[in-house]
Amino acid sequence: MSFFSEDKASELKEIFFESAQELLQTLNEEALALEKNPADAETVRSVRRTVHTLKGDSAACGYRELSELAHELEDVLTPELAQSAQNARIPEVVLAAADTFQSMLAAYRNNLQPPSGDALRQHVRKLTSAPAAPEQARLAPTFAWSEYEQVVIAHSLDKGNNIFHVALQIDRDCPMRAAAMQMIRNVVGDFGTVLAIHPEDNTPAEQIDVVEMAIASKHDEQWIAKKSHIPAVIKDVVVVRAGGAAETAPAKTVLEIADTLTQPVLTAVPAPAESKDEPAEKTASKSVVSENSLRVDADRIDDVLNLVGELIIGKSMLLQTMSEFDKRFAKDPLRGKFADAMAFQARVLTDLQKSVMKIRMVPVEQLFRRVPRVIRDVAKSAGKEVALQISGQDTDLDKSILDTLAEPLTHLVRNAVDHGLEAPQERVALGKPAAGTIRLNAFHQGNQVVIEVGDDGRGIDRAKVVAKAIERGIVTADEAGRMSEGEQFALIFNPGLSTAAQVTEVSGRGVGMDVVKTVLDRLKGSIIILSKVGEGTTFQLKVPLTLAIIKALLFRVADKLYAVPLGSVLEITRARESEIHRVDNHEVVQLRDQVLTLVRVAKLSKRKASPGKQLFIVIIAIGDRKFGLVVDRLIGEEELVIKALDDHLVATELVSGASILGDGTVVLILNVQAVVGRVGREGAKGAHA
Amino acid sequence: MITKDLHIVGFRIGRETFGVPIELVHEIVRVPEITAVPDSPEYIEGVINLRGKIISVVDLRKRFGEREITWTKKNRILVAELEDKKVGLIVDAASEVIKLPRTDVDNPPNVFEEGELNYVTGVGKLNGRLIILIELAKILQRGELKRLGDLAEAAQSAASAGS
Repeated sequence: MSFFSEDKASELKEIFFESAQELLQTLNEEALALEKNPADAETVRSVRRTVHTLKGDSAACGYRELSELAHELEDVLTPELAQSAQNARIPEVVLAAADTFQSMLAAYRNNLQPPSGDALRQHVRKLTSAPAAPEQARLAPTFAWSEYEQVVIAHSLDKGNNIFHVALQIDRDCPMRAAAMQMIRNVVGDFGTVLAIHPEDNTPAEQIDVVEMAIASKHDEQWIAKKSHIPAVIKDVVVVRAGGAAETAPAKTVLEIADTLTQPVLTAVPAPAESKDEPAEKTASKSVVSENSLRVDADRIDDVLNLVGELIIGKSMLLQTMSEFDKRFAKDPLRGKFADAMAFQARVLTDLQKSVMKIRMVPVEQLFRRVPRVIRDVAKSAGKEVALQISGQDTDLDKSILDTLAEPLTHLVRNAVDHGLEAPQERVALGKPAAGTIRLNAFHQGNQVVIEVGDDGRGIDRAKVVAKAIERGIVTADEAGRMSEGEQFALIFNPGLSTAAQVTEVSGRGVGMDVVKTVLDRLKGSIIILSKVGEGTTFQLKVPLTLAIIKALLFRVADKLYAVPLGSVLEITRARESEIHRVDNHEVVQLRDQVLTLVRVAKLSKRKASPGKQLFIVIIAIGDRKFGLVVDRLIGEEELVIKALDDHLVATELVSGASILGDGTVVLILNVQAVVGRVGREGAKGAHA
Repeated sequence: MITKDLHIVGFRIGRETFGVPIELVHEIVRVPEITAVPDSPEYIEGVINLRGKIISVVDLRKRFGEREITWTKKNRILVAELEDKKVGLIVDAASEVIKLPRTDVDNPPNVFEEGELNYVTGVGKLNGRLIILIELAKILQRGELKRLGDLAEAAQSAASAGS
């Protein structure tokens, strides 16, 4: 029974989910600290406090499964335990607990049946039991697939495949581990397609006790369980069907943990949504939360920002009217008063705008905080040693942009550890320190925020990337030859190049690079790769400081008004039609000692451009290349409040938004990258025809 | 409920009168300056500034495949609200609100072939005039619409068959 009305209860739950998210982040951090220093009784105590809070909060919301589990964990986490011989296993259990709690929360949030905590419960109980003979430990698979693997599994499920989570425990007495692994692989190959496998292939066979897999198979549970039970090699088998319609009654062992195991599939969907619920306050993770901060729904701040946007439009309307007034009543003494009042109002408005924007700004630290856990997990499974260097975590960034960046950043970090860094032995052989370094850095650059993910690993072999791209028909040899270094690197973002198997042999870079690029495009950001073979790779992500208001350059082309973000404009120059030459299907013009490729913005509209002799060329930078936009007339610089276009009706990649000027005119803000891509291509095509 | 009249905003395209439920129509405005958006379908005229909000504008005449489009002072933009989004519809003329008894509405003509968007919800009769009731959500979907001339003919025959 709830003491609260329906409304109050759901509000309470909302608050609980947010604070629980913070608690889990804290739990992760504390576990990582424990891993470094397992005997630290103080950290164990603070883990206990965190778990205790979670227990209380979840009980208050009526989430019994979660609170009971937290209770058990709290009970065993005594300072004495930290001193015991068992202490090395605490961090592992705490991390597993954080994961289990996470999936439970996700289930609660979506009103789904929470996954059973039995697997975790066994882990927890083992902590206090005397170090028993390892044979007694019952197989308790976690099936903790990575985000990517979860996506693969969910995808395969969607296609109507039957997915089974299979866990195989290797017999401790099995004399030849390496051979055992080979046998497992052979057997599993018969089942169907292996979607995910833990630990990964490069783990030394001696260290493997349990192999966990996700398999798409036509056979049923019993069949798989029977087949995979290799005598004298496999001690225990658990097969669980994921998602889909369960048909026949599964085997006994299966029943016991069945609901635990549907969990990885369930969480695959809500996981991205959760990243949004990260706390907005910088101090949130500390156990002492500053009392002077306020938790506000982001929508409310957006509302205020929208109103400020309207005010800015109002300001330019006033300015416009004022200049007309000036012309009409040039000698009127009221003009001075008007001007003063407007200057004052403009100043206050600018301050107001800055203040509201500041509310939306959160330090990048919130993004970086997830990284240690990611690195730990990947490093562990890939057998890498990693030192993490973080700098610039105080750099502020718009909250919505920050949230969107979480996923690509995780991808990049994971790739950097998994594929970027060499194995410790290899590094030592190369004269590098055994532990690889992952660097995270953030800083402001003009109207943009730059976030860097760097490693000191093997680097990307550009020549190999290009060769592969040509082989796969993504570019022609001719095109590749004309590309700049940056563009050649950027080929790895091509979906055709970035699936796991292909890229590992090409460049050592992993999956999902096209996803990273897509997200950056959506944010109107860019990504640059700096890499040297043998020295490492740095990914430079540039995103706008905020999505709401930009400084823009306005110009007219073929009687139409357009704007481009001022941040991308390098300089403006004039040219005569006679100075334009054609080279290689492109129009170019000589700029000082450089040749500049031109892009006719007029091609965007169907109307014919009125060819004047004098042209203006707006020089813009895209990545490390420069292009010149040919425009008819420059209007000036203005602060624009970006409004989204109705993407259902007028969706186009060429326009990133629209804005309203002081006189009420609607101006389209061009997405320069897309415009250059499109018009440039058409130019080349037209010349061929 | 059944006996209640339908309240409909009527508008003209070419020689036909169309009607949409009044609840969907937010307001009717004169045609302001329209900013064309590159890359959009032919019938999307562009975007306009409606008191500080940017909304997309569909030329219903082009949408219905009218070949000759005349711009007159009578042209209006019907601002409709669909799924919380406002969208403007250019029509030849719009002014009247029509009260239509439900009994005077016939079923839509069965002239739509497979693959075509069936956007007519009924044919109303008012003082000898035919009013084609349409479903805006369907019209804004991408896809081919039946040409207006064919539609009017079909509506005519459906109405005479009904009476």
